[in-house]
Amino acid sequence: MTDMFVSLGTWNWLIFGFILMALEVIAPGVFLLWLGLAALLVGLISFAVVMSWQIQLVMFAVFAAAAVPVWRRLARPKLDASSSSFLNKRSEALLGREFTLEKPIVDGNGTMRIGDTVWRVAGPDTPAGTRVKVVQVDGANLTVAAA
Amino acid sequence: MSGFDVFAIVLVLLVIVTLIAGVKTVPQGYDWTIERFGKYTQTLSPGLNLIVPYFDRVGRKINMMEQVINIPEQEVITKDNATVTVDGVAFFQVFDAAKASYEVSNLEQAIIVLTMTNIRSVMGSMDLDQVLSHRDVINERLLRVVDAAVSPWGLKVNRIEIKDIVPPADLVEAMGRQMKAERVKRADILQAEGARQSEILRAEGAKQGQILQAEGRREAAFRDAEARERSAEAEAKATQMVSEAIAKGDVAALNYFIADKYIKAFGQFADAPNQKIIMLPMEAVSLLGSLAGIGEIAKATFGESAASASAAARRGSVPATSPTPPVAPPR
Repeated sequence: MTDMFVSLGTWNWLIFGFILMALEVIAPGVFLLWLGLAALLVGLISFAVVMSWQIQLVMFAVFAAAAVPVWRRLARPKLDASSSSFLNKRSEALLGREFTLEKPIVDGNGTMRIGDTVWRVAGPDTPAGTRVKVVQVDGANLTVAAA
Repeated sequence: MSGFDVFAIVLVLLVIVTLIAGVKTVPQGYDWTIERFGKYTQTLSPGLNLIVPYFDRVGRKINMMEQVINIPEQEVITKDNATVTVDGVAFFQVFDAAKASYEVSNLEQAIIVLTMTNIRSVMGSMDLDQVLSHRDVINERLLRVVDAAVSPWGLKVNRIEIKDIVPPADLVEAMGRQMKAERVKRADILQAEGARQSEILRAEGAKQGQILQAEGRREAAFRDAEARERSAEAEAKATQMVSEAIAKGDVAALNYFIADKYIKAFGQFADAPNQKIIMLPMEAVSLLGSLAGIGEIAKATFGESAASASAAARRGSVPATSPTPPVAPPR
């Protein structure tokens, strides 16, 4: 197998890289993409510089490992952007909105009707009927302040 | 194969395995907890995530979407000792994957048992009628209690709905009978009220009619009286005018009028188709004679000024004491 791999030479890396990228499309998991890109990169370099196959393998391993921090840096702003979506984050969507207290907040805790369900709220003691604003969200617990 | 060959191959395998283990794609709607040496460290949110292989391990994969669980059927005894069968559904959503993973052992089972016991306590404090008619109140109370109870588990119960409340069959039948009786009662009352109303209306109509009739009679009587007054007045005036005329002229003129009327009256008697024989009392015949006497009295009353005129009249007229009717003077 090694003989076949060596005999094909430089083309091995390009073929290997495209196969990996094709696999990535079929079974998305992102790590195959980085491996494929690393393989392509090694292939392109080996066209220009003559290297032993062992060196090429080590280069491939280094590129694949290096892809992760590079990807993280590139992906970070994208992650921040996606976190602003309220999908599955129902309480975050309430942040900054104003509601009228139906029951008073006593000893820092109370309940508030929003939509057709009841939310647990925390905040300064306030009588019922006061307008309050959601200032902080922690899971299903809302912190409110007088609006 | 040299040692370097083996090293290169192993290195590549190691990198591939590490990448496979370290890159985690969390699907939308789920949160994954990460345990480092078995201890919770962080929660992965949907999207691409990296963990440190060898140290970190994915713990629980928590569904962050709103989920519905069936609350199984159970028998509940209401405050008035009716046994009803109740089931329902609960909607909940995990807000804190870590708490939902590690604070409670069997999440769904915990919610089901909690809801079931609370259904029992809430409905057990109500009468059957209340239970059947205040479903929203039950839902609301359940929601508040259960939601507060699940709070330490990092989730929120959004809604609890009682699906079916089934009272025992004989009770349902009795309720049906009660409802029917209630309707029959209402129908009877309505009917009686209608009859009463119509009776009242009829009586009122009759009363109104009678009042109007009486008013009409009263008005007519008033007018009649007025008419009589007016005719009396006219009579008085006519009499006065006649007396004045007599005072100025001869009493024979008076006799003339009386005789005229008398003859006319007889003429009418004669014209009557059914009575040809006329019986007159003696007094009636002598009455005419007495008329001359009345003239005398009138003359005496009207004073001496008329005396001479009266004397002249007597001379030119038939004797006042004559029992025969006066002969009509020539016209």
